[in-house]
Amino acid sequence: MLMQSSLRAKLQEAFRLRMYFYMTVTAVAFAALLLQLINLQLIQGKEYKTKARLNMESNVPIPAARGDIYDRNFREGEKNVVIVSNRPSFNITTIPAKFKSKKKLYEILDLLSRLFDINKDEIINEINNGNPWERVVLKEDVEFDTIVKLASHQDKFPNIDWEDASVRVYNFSEMFAHIIGYVGSISQDEYRKLKMEGYKHYQKIGKSGIEKQYDRLLRGRDGYVRRIVDVRQRTEGEEVGQRPIAGENLVLTIDYNIQNTLYDAMKDMKGGAIVIKPATGEVLALVSKPDFDPNLIISKNNADVIRQLQKDRERPFLNRVIQSKYPPASTFKLVTAVAALETEKATPEKSYYCPGKFTLKGYKDHDFYDYDVHGTVDLYWAIAKSCSVYFYQLGLLTGPTVIMRYAEDFGLNQKSGIDIPGEVAGFVPSRQWKYKTFGQPWFDGDTVNMAIGQGFLHVTPMGMCEFVSALVNNGIVYQPHVIREIRSNDNSRVLKTFPRKKIREIPLSPLTLQAVKKGMRMGVMSGTSGRLGYLKVPVAGKTGTAQTRSIRQEKFSQHAWFVGFAPYEGPAENAVVTVVLVEYGVAGAASAVPIAEKVYTKLNDLGYFNVAPVAAAQPDAKKAGAAQARQIMLPQPQLPPKKNAAAPVVPDQALQKKPAAVKKAD
Amino acid sequence: MLFSKEGLSRIDYALVIAVVLTVFIGILMIYSAGFDPIDKVNNGLYRKQLLWFIFGFILMIGLTIVNYQSLGEFSLHIYVILILVLIITTVFGTPVRNTRAWLNFGFFSIQPSEFMKLGLVIILAKYLEIRERDITRLRELVFPALLTFIPMLIILKQPDFGTAIIFIPILLTMLFVGGADISHLLSIVMIAAIAMVVPMVLTYREWIGAEGSNFLLDFFQDLNLLLIVSGVLLLVTVITFVLHFFSVKKFLRRIYIPGAVISLGLMTSVIIQKLFKVYQKRRILVFLNPDLDPQGSGYNIIQSKIAIGSGGFFGKGFLKGSQSQLGFLPEKSSDFIFSVVAEEWGFFGALVLLALFGFIIFRCVQTAFESKDKFGALLASGIGTILFFHILINIGMAVGIMPVTGLPLCFVSYGGSNLMMSMICIGIMLNIRARKFVY
Repeated sequence: MLMQSSLRAKLQEAFRLRMYFYMTVTAVAFAALLLQLINLQLIQGKEYKTKARLNMESNVPIPAARGDIYDRNFREGEKNVVIVSNRPSFNITTIPAKFKSKKKLYEILDLLSRLFDINKDEIINEINNGNPWERVVLKEDVEFDTIVKLASHQDKFPNIDWEDASVRVYNFSEMFAHIIGYVGSISQDEYRKLKMEGYKHYQKIGKSGIEKQYDRLLRGRDGYVRRIVDVRQRTEGEEVGQRPIAGENLVLTIDYNIQNTLYDAMKDMKGGAIVIKPATGEVLALVSKPDFDPNLIISKNNADVIRQLQKDRERPFLNRVIQSKYPPASTFKLVTAVAALETEKATPEKSYYCPGKFTLKGYKDHDFYDYDVHGTVDLYWAIAKSCSVYFYQLGLLTGPTVIMRYAEDFGLNQKSGIDIPGEVAGFVPSRQWKYKTFGQPWFDGDTVNMAIGQGFLHVTPMGMCEFVSALVNNGIVYQPHVIREIRSNDNSRVLKTFPRKKIREIPLSPLTLQAVKKGMRMGVMSGTSGRLGYLKVPVAGKTGTAQTRSIRQEKFSQHAWFVGFAPYEGPAENAVVTVVLVEYGVAGAASAVPIAEKVYTKLNDLGYFNVAPVAAAQPDAKKAGAAQARQIMLPQPQLPPKKNAAAPVVPDQALQKKPAAVKKAD
Repeated sequence: MLFSKEGLSRIDYALVIAVVLTVFIGILMIYSAGFDPIDKVNNGLYRKQLLWFIFGFILMIGLTIVNYQSLGEFSLHIYVILILVLIITTVFGTPVRNTRAWLNFGFFSIQPSEFMKLGLVIILAKYLEIRERDITRLRELVFPALLTFIPMLIILKQPDFGTAIIFIPILLTMLFVGGADISHLLSIVMIAAIAMVVPMVLTYREWIGAEGSNFLLDFFQDLNLLLIVSGVLLLVTVITFVLHFFSVKKFLRRIYIPGAVISLGLMTSVIIQKLFKVYQKRRILVFLNPDLDPQGSGYNIIQSKIAIGSGGFFGKGFLKGSQSQLGFLPEKSSDFIFSVVAEEWGFFGALVLLALFGFIIFRCVQTAFESKDKFGALLASGIGTILFFHILINIGMAVGIMPVTGLPLCFVSYGGSNLMMSMICIGIMLNIRARKFVY
């Protein structure tokens, strides 16, 4: 019994010991829970509060409207020509990470692609390459009614959201395509480069033209709505987190009226033309054909259209004024003339006899032909009638190095720096270049070719435009630009203007300029640009017909040039330079000159030449010029310029007939 | 007798008040969790919980009338009946999320596995009381293990991994309190640990695509080598055991016990590695480390931690917890109810709840100390163990320091069966305390 009770006591004691241990373990466990609670709620509380907020807040962007773009006639508070504006719309979006599984996401995409025109594969590709927590736009530019329908069937479209969107509207479709460019969804490469600047992958970005060049100004800043959502994305409440700031507005230097005229004049043609004020570098009009309608390609759902346009052999995206090079042809004779006069290799009075061909003496004689027999001509007449034989000899007299140097001085092998992206520089050959490329020295034949703008020379219409600008502006060239001013998004303030910026100053003697200009004026009065002679404003110009061998067509084709300016005399402030290039056109006189004619008529109608701020002598000179033009035109009623242009003539004939007729009158 | 003035005075009112308070907090939180702030409706679960509570309260008080000692006398009956019900449930039960754990009675359903926990504690308490003096022997552990493994296996068949796994800590704690040899218990734990470590390490490294190796990993990788080594070890163990049996050299014990542990552990690990499919082993890994599955249970833990952490000191206020109200917190009225408390009432509310639980557990331990007989003491500690492990595992899961199991938080989580079982537990506790001086 004693034994038993002592054993009992022993067992009792063991039990008590173990219960103490049990209690300790329990207490430790509770302490551990408490410590973790302190850690989570008191130490890391702030971080978890942020996480909880991120959980329930779904920030939906409110897109900022891109800036509007106006033409140069913009007046604040008046009805203006709006070239590019925006219209409100909706996008259907989703955040891929909110789907429980890829399969569910694909099912929804499947359903949506049956309802809308959506390229499922492209979107899946985009989703797989992107951050799953970032918003993906599934369908752009949806009408409000569609959103209403979608909203009322939200249970069938879980995690499918929508947002306000602003769609770019190009009010004149193709007319400004190569100036304005277009916007498109930001590409992965662009996003990688620009995300540090606050670009979002669902945003639009300027892809070419002004839209690209001034994207940072135009885009504004997106705002967002802060939505409180539950786990199923149902909205509990929302508030505006940040209002969007619309982009700044741009006023172009382009005059809608001239652009319209130039665009109409170049209808059905291929080529490029630019109208510029040399005194400031302001571009008044710029057209490149063929073109495209930016409205059709801005939507991300229209990727096929862009691809098709890119594959188009006619290359509608190419801005032929600044991105395409052509032989300058006869327009280059002006450069040869300047080079000869400036280096005093010749005077304007120097004459050569033109028998219609020129034989270059050498190891083997080689004949270079002219399109006509011009007889004895001095420099003025050689320019006016585009006598090649004269320039063959003048070129040899002047020497290739000098001609090349002047071509380079005029910037024909440089970019102008115009504020439209993608510009290319022209090409001026050199002796070293020829040796390196062909392993041959520079021959006299090359000089002869170069003197009349054929051979290795290739220039952009922009380059020629700068050259003529230098002639008009006494050797000073201002950077061409298409933006006149930047305005605040409500147009109330001018944020920035663009004062003219001198990019080049070529020392040229007044005598040289006068001689070359006179030759160009004579070209209009009685030479290759004859049909411009009757205009009220005295125009001076030079045509050119570039012969190129087209690889595709295996036959010669011709590009028609016209470079010119008006008024012939008078202050440079008023002058307007026009350069026209028509690809595969007939001769310069037939294809390019009528375009210039329309442009100058319009410019005159709009009063571009009336605003002369200087001198009373100015109107007199103008009147005199006009009278002279009329005088010269009158004796030849049998060949009115318009009829001549309209007649579908063989290229060479077109050039042969007109000077001949003028010659008689002279 | 009990309802005499004297008897009523013996009821532990503090415990009753603590329990009622805890359940009340639970019902408020179930209301909050069931509220939809967008449609402004409540799913009404709190009303069901209230009904269960009233029923449970009556049961709890009613249980104080019956002498707890008669539970011991009928422990085998209770156990067998519960096992039968469990089998019926597992075969005919209504599947909810692919688990046949519920018996449906139309307007309510019960989960017999909840009551099985209590049934096991009762029969273990009785057995350990009877075998009090022999329990230090290894073979005395076989029967309690059997009693535990039978319901465990049935529940695993349902399958309800979380509920099944809690039987093991209950068994081990009961054996410990009941006086089993500590070296035996440690050996069992060690064997289980070794058995799990090898397959888990291998599966884990394979899953996360770990590179490199060392001598130990190579050894683990080669199953045949593992088997040979453990076989040799087992042979040595058997020889030393036989030697020890005939001579009485005490030091041999120090060889054959660790030998047996390591060899048995390694052998079991080979079996686990061969028998279990990869996804099954991965499931255990996810159970141990939810971060491995950020979309599944890992997501739940992250959301729960955000809910608790964002509660701060004073919480966001009743019905104002964004995590629970907006549905980011999963299973918010059952598994993660603690996160709702901690989010809406903050550290303060969580502390109050922890204090209430601490008090309840403390009362169980106190009762175990003060019980007039061993059965009462073991029963009280066993009940304490059930409650303690539910609290530890559930809250530990919510705060992210315990594996994810579907274990409810007793008294607080929504669920009739668990609430009833917990109330019955408290009823028994009151019973034991009330009779501590009645012989």
